[in-house]
Amino acid sequence: MADESTFARTARRLGVAWCALLALMLSSLGSAYLKLGPWNLISGLVIAAIKATIVAWLFMRLRESGPLIRLVAVVGLGVWCILIGLSGVDYETRSLTPSAVQRPQQLLSPQAASQPH
Amino acid sequence: MTAATLLEPKDEPDIGKLGMWVFLASEVLFFGGLFLAYLYGRTHWPLGWAAASRHTDVVLGTVNTALLLTSSAVVALAVACEEDARQRRWTARLLALTAALGAVFLVIKGFEWHAEWDEHLFPGPSFALDVAGAQEFFVLYFVMTGLHAVHMIVGVGALAILARGRSRDREWARSGHLEVAALYWHFVDVVWIFLYPLLYLVQRHG
Amino acid sequence: MTTSYLDDGLTIRSWLTTTDHKRIAILYAIAITCFFFVGGAAATIIRLELATPQGDLVSHDAYNKLFTAHGVIMVWLFLIPSIPSVLGNFLLPLMIGAKDLAFPRLNLMSWYLYVAGGLVTLEALFLGGVDTGWTFYTPYSTMFSNTYVVLTLTGVFITGFSSILTGLNFIVTIHTLRARAMGWFKLPLFVWGMYATSLILVLATPVLAITVLLLIAERLFQIGIFDPAFGGDPLLFQHLFWFYSHPAVYVMILPAMGVVSEIIPCFARRPIFGYRSMAYAIMTIASVGFLVWGHHMFVSGQSLTASMVFSLLSFIVAIPSAIKVFNWTATLYKGSIRFDAPMLYALGFVGLFTIGGLTGLFLASLALDVHLTDTYFVVAHFHYIMVGGAVMAYFAGLHFWWPKVTGRLYPEVWSRIAAVIAFIGFNLTFFPQFLLGIEGMPRRYHTYPPQFQVLNLFSSAGAGVLAIGYLMPLVYLTWSIRHGARAGDNPWAAKGFEWQTRSPPPTDNFDTPPTVPDIVYDYVADEPEFAR
Repeated sequence: MADESTFARTARRLGVAWCALLALMLSSLGSAYLKLGPWNLISGLVIAAIKATIVAWLFMRLRESGPLIRLVAVVGLGVWCILIGLSGVDYETRSLTPSAVQRPQQLLSPQAASQPH
Repeated sequence: MTAATLLEPKDEPDIGKLGMWVFLASEVLFFGGLFLAYLYGRTHWPLGWAAASRHTDVVLGTVNTALLLTSSAVVALAVACEEDARQRRWTARLLALTAALGAVFLVIKGFEWHAEWDEHLFPGPSFALDVAGAQEFFVLYFVMTGLHAVHMIVGVGALAILARGRSRDREWARSGHLEVAALYWHFVDVVWIFLYPLLYLVQRHG
Repeated sequence: MTTSYLDDGLTIRSWLTTTDHKRIAILYAIAITCFFFVGGAAATIIRLELATPQGDLVSHDAYNKLFTAHGVIMVWLFLIPSIPSVLGNFLLPLMIGAKDLAFPRLNLMSWYLYVAGGLVTLEALFLGGVDTGWTFYTPYSTMFSNTYVVLTLTGVFITGFSSILTGLNFIVTIHTLRARAMGWFKLPLFVWGMYATSLILVLATPVLAITVLLLIAERLFQIGIFDPAFGGDPLLFQHLFWFYSHPAVYVMILPAMGVVSEIIPCFARRPIFGYRSMAYAIMTIASVGFLVWGHHMFVSGQSLTASMVFSLLSFIVAIPSAIKVFNWTATLYKGSIRFDAPMLYALGFVGLFTIGGLTGLFLASLALDVHLTDTYFVVAHFHYIMVGGAVMAYFAGLHFWWPKVTGRLYPEVWSRIAAVIAFIGFNLTFFPQFLLGIEGMPRRYHTYPPQFQVLNLFSSAGAGVLAIGYLMPLVYLTWSIRHGARAGDNPWAAKGFEWQTRSPPPTDNFDTPPTVPDIVYDYVADEPEFAR
């Protein structure tokens, strides 16, 4: 049973989190209009990760959850990382050479002329 | 031999909560495949990705993100209210508000897609952008936001039903089920948190 | 006297609306048996066609549809659900001392999803079938095939959710409903097997689901991310597909290993050798199994670096499996071995799984795989694991727990004869296929050069023998339901909670709570004879 001060604390925490989330969203939006090169993607993802952590930690209550629930979250993420990571090994070590059957517009992309990324 | 008794099932919320978290882990992998496809496309066709992303409606996308983040805070507040005897009277209204915010999100999404249809941004023979990879971006855009919308519809429905049940003091609308529904809603929010920069904010400065 | 779960409602409606895990297990058993025989019928026609070098029984297209049907049905509608959804559903709550699974109604929904998906898939077959192979590789499946691809994939999609929900149910059950004092290292290895399998079901199947959705979308709208003409990548499909489909084979084998780990100690009257390492091996197989999918793609255009990484990881994943084979063998040492049907099937499993596993290492070697891939060597390899391994273990489990499930004993002599016939038939069918593969006979072809005919004839003859081996249990097990001698609570003098209750069990599983032993599998070699 939660008493009023516990509720007040929880409500305040949620309020601060909400403000933080909106602020992070706006910073993500703002940073997209700056010319940061590859850092645009990185900053976007990092900000998203922070927002997701706030939601998971505070809203989804991972903060108060036992090790089992946290393990479930970590394992889910971890297996996804395996999917991306090992597929990435293939994509990073394979060159993309568009073939003649691909529509001309694919071949006109400057990306097609050299190794990707 | 040690004597053992049959374990009485633990309190409902723990079993339900664990069940929902395991389900959410599976959902990470469900959406996760789409993120792999996205990463493939972005790394191989960066110009197409950039050109295509600039044609998404960043205003509506940002508004929607704000709505969804707010709805997440609201449903978290609803669960907190349910756990406090003096605030319990607010739960049903907060649940309904969450569902309403979700519904507005879906309406705005509908407007976005309608506009994109008019601009010939749906993949197909009449696709408007002539940059390599732009069509691939929009394939993923519609699949990802579409799948997300399906999950939103389920969430809005569940929250609306729970709101109604809670306001009528139904037994099934008790705190364990609310917490589980809120977890699902937060997850849908987290997916959108990543969709927002990946779909709307690619090379906006160009 | 007292009633069992079988007496608790005698109408069909009571069965179709049950939430009793034991009844749901039987519902699954009936459904998968039907699908098994449909898949087996496809295999029969395939082996009849392959008895002669010419394509004289069916057309090219029909042959393609046959092997696709065989694969789709056997993998998704038979093997994946078989041990988990039949034996797992029935035994898991019993083995941990619970009354039911964590989510009994979800369990029933899983069955309905499975049946719905299965019926949609069957409908696609009857309407004309699909000819892409069970692997649905693009661009053939998206752009060129003129068959019922979308309908079949829809069926697979629906069935996938049955798997995910079953896995979810098992995971939550094992974590939350264990008897007091039953720690993780007092769990039967069958439960460990179910747990690891459930992890894979929950984490891998969703990737199949999204892949199938993308495939359906690309085929319906003729625009997608697997099409190189639009900048897509056909290999992306293969990465996504095999990310699920490799762990899926561990879904098929881990429950089988769990079954065998229950049977061998019982019929050797010895505790399992190395219990902890067996449990760790199960978890290691499930984890490392997520890291090897690229070994299905060595010749697909995948980069050499990635292929080498996947090859190395594939060698590593064989290690925990080998540990298990050593431990089963060591369990037999100085045992008091009885060759009842469950033991015959279990021993058959150990030998055939070993052959299948070792031949997997040949395929994991890059240079060898270039020669062996897409030949009958691969076909033989996976049939040794899936049929010689998983199906044999399924039959082992059926025979071991049949008295518990039905309260009846089956004819001992016939059961042993059937096990031996199946073993002989299996080897006669599939061993020649290793040789055919090495000699270069491609898979998925319905004609072949005449010099391959002798081995193909052996294989087809073997298939006939194997079929007899599978039909016999169908006859005598069904017979035993009405006419078999009544079984006691523990006809095999086995350890485990399920043997501490009646045969068949009451609806709530236990009249009195079971006692947790100090050691699992505390079999003693000189214990008195089985009290059948």
